[in-house]
Amino acid sequence: MKTKLKITIATIALVLILIADVPVLFEQLVPEAHAIFGVRRRAARRGVIVGYSMGEAAATSAAANQAAATSQHQEAAAQQQAAAPPPATAGKPLPLGTVVSALPAGCTSTPVGGVEYYYCGGNFYRAVFQGNQLVYVTAQPK
Amino acid sequence: MSNLNYRLSTVSFALGVLVLAATVSTDVQAQTPQVDPAATRTLKRMTDYLGGLQKFSVHTKNTLEDELESGHRIDLDVSASVLVSRPNELFAERKGDLIDQMFYYNGKTLTLYNPSDKVYATESAPGTIEETLDFARESLGLVVPVADLVYRNAFPLLMQDVNLAVVVGKAVIGGVKCDHLLFSRPGVDFQVWVADSGNPLPYKYVVTDTGTPARLSISTVMSDWNVTPAATDSRFTFVPPPGTKQISFLPL
Repeated sequence: MKTKLKITIATIALVLILIADVPVLFEQLVPEAHAIFGVRRRAARRGVIVGYSMGEAAATSAAANQAAATSQHQEAAAQQQAAAPPPATAGKPLPLGTVVSALPAGCTSTPVGGVEYYYCGGNFYRAVFQGNQLVYVTAQPK
Repeated sequence: MSNLNYRLSTVSFALGVLVLAATVSTDVQAQTPQVDPAATRTLKRMTDYLGGLQKFSVHTKNTLEDELESGHRIDLDVSASVLVSRPNELFAERKGDLIDQMFYYNGKTLTLYNPSDKVYATESAPGTIEETLDFARESLGLVVPVADLVYRNAFPLLMQDVNLAVVVGKAVIGGVKCDHLLFSRPGVDFQVWVADSGNPLPYKYVVTDTGTPARLSISTVMSDWNVTPAATDSRFTFVPPPGTKQISFLPL
């Protein structure tokens, strides 16, 4: 391994020496791949900020894996987008527009103006697609 | 690890050969020495062929490598089928997984449908597959299977900033003998396996993110190519079954 690594480094160095004008290029990806890796990096950053423990991260992945949708890239997106756990059932209402990956237990559904709302824990939720992922967002029925 | 070893040695060997070629060749300045025209030619043959197809369907198995915060690497697997009828119809379905999901595009609207949750969302969409894929990704955060290969102008997109193109060798993917190609650009390596006889169809596609230490990959294995699929207009228009509820997309 070490020898091969040395050879590789030496070879790359040689290539660099031989090619006088090595262009400094910015990362350009295929649009699709760009989207995916973009998501992944955002996910990684968010993970750092939120400070998942290993167990939580694994649980999130498992949840994402289970809940993933059509796309081959869905899971990565799911991890990033639906990382927020459902809030505790009791307590004060969440700000409008809060996205959760699943409804809390014990929600009752009510149609208002053709839209299905789920009420629980002092919040109204409605189902939406966030990318490929089915999530629930707090909303004011109207 | 041995696989990485093999890859490293393959790449370094390829680079070594190129260095040798560069040293020996007199007109090295005239062309980019690391781009093997044979590799580029095969890629172009594949993208031209795919881009020229009026209709096709394909089954894909996709593996996403991911890294947990703990540093452990895991694989996430999704499979999907795609049916394309150019210029403005596409149907994609995730099948045989825990949750099914379908994507419909009929030239006017796009619909995402989760049969098990009995919900769907519809948005008006641009007039071509390419524009719709861009719109879905950029405005809705929606990703459609094998979109990279559906783009008609895939070749320039793939070749942008490529500074290494190598024919790695032959390989058999799903019983089909293929040319194995490696391309590299800053931040990304990608490999494509293209059938070496008959229709130049891709059978495997791996994109590796070389811009981060984890060097994660997304790989797609393609099978059941059909270049003359039955694709009536009704396949691309979603008709909500009874009891299905319409929801909306959360804008990005």
